[in-house]
Amino acid sequence: MTRFVTLRLVEIAGVLILMSFLIYALIGLMPGDPIDLMRGTDPHLSSADIARLKELYGVGQPLFGRYLAWARQAVIGNLGYSRLFAEPVLTALLPRLANSLALMGTSFVLAFAAALGLGIAAARRPGSVFDRTLNLLCFAGVSVPTFWLALVLILIFAARLGWFPASGIATPGNGGLDDRVWHLALPVLTLTLASVGSYTRYVRAAMREALGQDHIRTARAKGASERRVVWHHALRSALVPVVTVLALSFGSLVSGALVTETMFAYPGMGKLIFDAVMGNDYNLALAALLLATATTLAGNFAADLAYAWLDPRVSY
Amino acid sequence: MLAVIAAAAFAGPLIGTALGIDPTAVDLTSRLAGPSPAHLLGTDELGRDVLLRLMEGGRISLAIGIAAALAAAVIGTTIGLVAGYLGAWTDRLLMRLTDAIIALPLLPLLIVLAALDLGKLGVPARIAQSDDVSLVRIIILAALIGWTTAARLVRGATLVTKNRDFVRAARSLGAGTPHILLRHILPNVMGPLIVATSLSVGDVILLESVLSFLGLGVQPPLASWGSMLSNAQDLIETGSQLAIYPGAMIFLTVIACNLLGDGLQRRLDRQR
Amino acid sequence: MMTDRLNRLFRLIFTAGLMAAAMPSGAAEHTSLTIGVTQYPGTLNPNIDPLAAKGYVLGFTLRPFTVFDPEWKLVCLLCTTVPSFDNGLAVPVDLPNGKRGVDVTYTIRPDAMWGDGVPVTTKDVEFTWKVGRDPKSPVSNAEMYRHMTGITIKDDKTFTIHDDKLDFTYAAINDFTLLPEHLEKAAFADPAQYRQKTLYVTDPTNPGLYNGPYRVGEASGGSYIVLERNPHWAGKPGPFDRITIRAIENTAALEANLLSGTVDMAAGEVGLPLDEGLAFEKRHGAAYDVVFKPGLIFEHVDFNLEVPAFQDRRLREAMLRAIDREGLCKSLFSGKQQPADTFLSPLDVGYTDDVPHYPYDPARAAALLDEAGWHMGPGGTRRNAAGEALSFTLMTTAGNHSRELVEQVLQSEWKKVGIDIKLKNEPPRVLFGETLLHRQFQLAMYAWISSPENVPREIFDSGEIPSAGNGYSGENLAGYKNPKMDELLKALELELDPQKRKAMWAEAQKIFAADLPFLPLYLRTDTFILPKWLGGVEPTGNQYPTSLWVTDWTVKK
Repeated sequence: MTRFVTLRLVEIAGVLILMSFLIYALIGLMPGDPIDLMRGTDPHLSSADIARLKELYGVGQPLFGRYLAWARQAVIGNLGYSRLFAEPVLTALLPRLANSLALMGTSFVLAFAAALGLGIAAARRPGSVFDRTLNLLCFAGVSVPTFWLALVLILIFAARLGWFPASGIATPGNGGLDDRVWHLALPVLTLTLASVGSYTRYVRAAMREALGQDHIRTARAKGASERRVVWHHALRSALVPVVTVLALSFGSLVSGALVTETMFAYPGMGKLIFDAVMGNDYNLALAALLLATATTLAGNFAADLAYAWLDPRVSY
Repeated sequence: MLAVIAAAAFAGPLIGTALGIDPTAVDLTSRLAGPSPAHLLGTDELGRDVLLRLMEGGRISLAIGIAAALAAAVIGTTIGLVAGYLGAWTDRLLMRLTDAIIALPLLPLLIVLAALDLGKLGVPARIAQSDDVSLVRIIILAALIGWTTAARLVRGATLVTKNRDFVRAARSLGAGTPHILLRHILPNVMGPLIVATSLSVGDVILLESVLSFLGLGVQPPLASWGSMLSNAQDLIETGSQLAIYPGAMIFLTVIACNLLGDGLQRRLDRQR
Repeated sequence: MMTDRLNRLFRLIFTAGLMAAAMPSGAAEHTSLTIGVTQYPGTLNPNIDPLAAKGYVLGFTLRPFTVFDPEWKLVCLLCTTVPSFDNGLAVPVDLPNGKRGVDVTYTIRPDAMWGDGVPVTTKDVEFTWKVGRDPKSPVSNAEMYRHMTGITIKDDKTFTIHDDKLDFTYAAINDFTLLPEHLEKAAFADPAQYRQKTLYVTDPTNPGLYNGPYRVGEASGGSYIVLERNPHWAGKPGPFDRITIRAIENTAALEANLLSGTVDMAAGEVGLPLDEGLAFEKRHGAAYDVVFKPGLIFEHVDFNLEVPAFQDRRLREAMLRAIDREGLCKSLFSGKQQPADTFLSPLDVGYTDDVPHYPYDPARAAALLDEAGWHMGPGGTRRNAAGEALSFTLMTTAGNHSRELVEQVLQSEWKKVGIDIKLKNEPPRVLFGETLLHRQFQLAMYAWISSPENVPREIFDSGEIPSAGNGYSGENLAGYKNPKMDELLKALELELDPQKRKAMWAEAQKIFAADLPFLPLYLRTDTFILPKWLGGVEPTGNQYPTSLWVTDWTVKK
């Protein structure tokens, strides 16, 4: 086991290093540098200024050399400055990471809790009206484009009913927790609705499989209460695939809410990455993308571990 | 239902010709008109027939969905088979590659793809200049990131199948690896693969709508349901029918894909 | 059938959303105002990285020396008198190199103060000039500073700028936005680090950074900026205790925010595009004041004049005559956007209507094409004697809904006269950063930003054609070459007599209309969505934002 973990960690590190170069190269391959983008906004920017600024920003040096220079600094913890925000990369990154985790974490927990309850209830009465309706609703949930869902929710709950604010993270001047939660409501609802469907289906499928297994029948035969059978025996084995799925979707925790963030003007990582890439903010885009990559890889790793621990049949 | 939608979408050009309506013909005098005998679902903001455009859009959306899902399935199956069957270092390497692809950032990749000059890559000018390039780009992208699911699935099934008796028998009879893979293992992983592919058609259609939302989707004069929907969000109040129809079509198609996958799954389970 | 039921359900959900009515604004007193914008200003330093949203925010918080007001007159905001030859504050000088320069004297308003109570003085002027002149400094518009070869300080409030170029804009120092020397000096110790060290980034709520009626009270990265009154502002006070500027990028979401009352108004400078503004007016015009104002963003279609076919003027004219710009403006933009016939705004002093016009005339267009040797061929596409098809690719920015609509209209109209158009859109960064810059296009639809009486030399001068030779600088993407135009614009810049200049402007517009190096479409119109209770917001129609005149805004009873 230890050997497996070590090996995987080494591999992850390898993939990360490879990815850092790949991402660097990808951003580098994108046409248009920040200075070229700037000239569209200022009628007075002269050709001489453009040449001077390009020199200043170091645009136009060979890609690999720039990568090595960046990597040397990154290794000693200096991620450089964000061009868009003129702040150190971490200063720009961390508050948005916190925002994203609050948004994604909450909806993740909510969606998972709801999926657990609904999925188990459906699995206990397969084929019932409840099961069928739920199944259809789950499909409906995963079939609606997120931006559309977000817009409809804003129009209903913010514009018509006025229950929740339509955008932002907090009322200016009010940093209270209740205010933050109030602002989180609609984006969290959007994300939860969008993801609860597929989670529920996984839980239901896993639970049905588990309920049909021998040891459940044994437990039932031994006279264990139905409640104990479901929540203790079956759930335990049902959790293996569910946890795997959850771990795999872990990667989206960091950057997966671009659309929702855009619609609710919520400053999070998804939007940050989009803006950094579109605005050619090298340092910021790199750090943010690498963070997202690392989380995804960690999620995959966790999925493997969960498999190995929870399911004795898998050996490495 | 999926068949009905597909048939309607692909019959679009025929109906258009029959009715003498050009789906791209702009008529600024009849913008945002309501339903009429000439335009059953009314007209859009440039006075084009909504029904025909829906069919056209459906053709694009379905074409993207199906092509990308199939391409992803083919790539994924190949990699999954090889990884699962050969095992050891090949497996490790391919699975790390899969991990890397899952973790690959979509956005810069997409922009680079959008900026690539196909002419320079040796693609004939006739194709590189055609309207369909934006479509091909999206298909390539969706296939490129979509194959990992199929690969994991097929690899898992291969791992189980390769130690079954009939595969061992074939091997001891001296069958070559390609032969074993294609004749003995592939048929046994086909079931889950088909389910996964039918599900991913829906996913790709949704992905395309998100790309359209970001302005990186199918480009005019082509339209997909996704691009029609994201264009209509600005007109949500004056031309709500423009938003309802493509939205409903995406919704129905994705549901149909999911139900199809679900149905196939059930049948598969029963066979076991 | 299930389809039906779902459809109905969908429609139901949808209509529920649609019935959204504008909520009455809560506060009766209106001591605060929340403005929705579609862009968040990255950094607040006035001299680094220009951005429309930043200009809007800084309009409330920093006074430029001079700007063009809503009447397009050059006025002093931070100075006392606009210098001119008549009042003796501007004096032409002969330079040793034989050229003519000018000395211009300004006096800072005696009551001008930074938000921390430190008076604005010539120390700030000298410091700002130094920052602008330093070759390592990140200032964007260094061109202006390069011409300011020296500054003579007379006293705490009065100074003279020595400019090495005498042109008719001698009195305008609109981009010369003062930096507070007492705060920024330390940050500029290392010019190369100034971008990151400037207090506008590290301490944006420091009151001493602002000298306008408002100062930044709170800046929440990427989400909103709260402006508070500047306690040391000596002029007329603004109407609100606090102004919140919220960035909501998605325009559909911005509309929803207006309806929910989360924001009170949408700024026109960085707000809704015209088509959405028109739709908004239709539905909610009764509850808001919706103001449309044509700005100085000039939409047009560039020809790449390197394409042999485009070198024939008859083809260019035919393409202009084949499109019904009038009809397009009427139907798509409800006539709020007028077709342009020259490259100047009708509000500009140099504007003339006395130029050749090319109204919609498909018959004439067809005749011109025949004359140019392009005859109708099979499939409805014209061909020339060599058998080449009259077929071009039109490019524009992907994701810009309004342009996407217009390009499809153009495509459809050109098709009617036998010109086959393929559309190819690219994300803005690809289009501007690569394709247009390297002139790898045939037809391109995009916009220029201009300013009052701006001499468009970067656009028309034959020396400004981007090429590998000049490092792809210049904005003359069409590749337009006309020695007469080159000379006229060069002379225009240096002509000090407004009357003579007017004649030269007219001449330039005539040459343009005769040459047609690109197809003029229209000047983009901004949409201001204002609450009924807000008055005094007067759009300028030039690039100077309404926020500069916030003290004229009023709360109606």
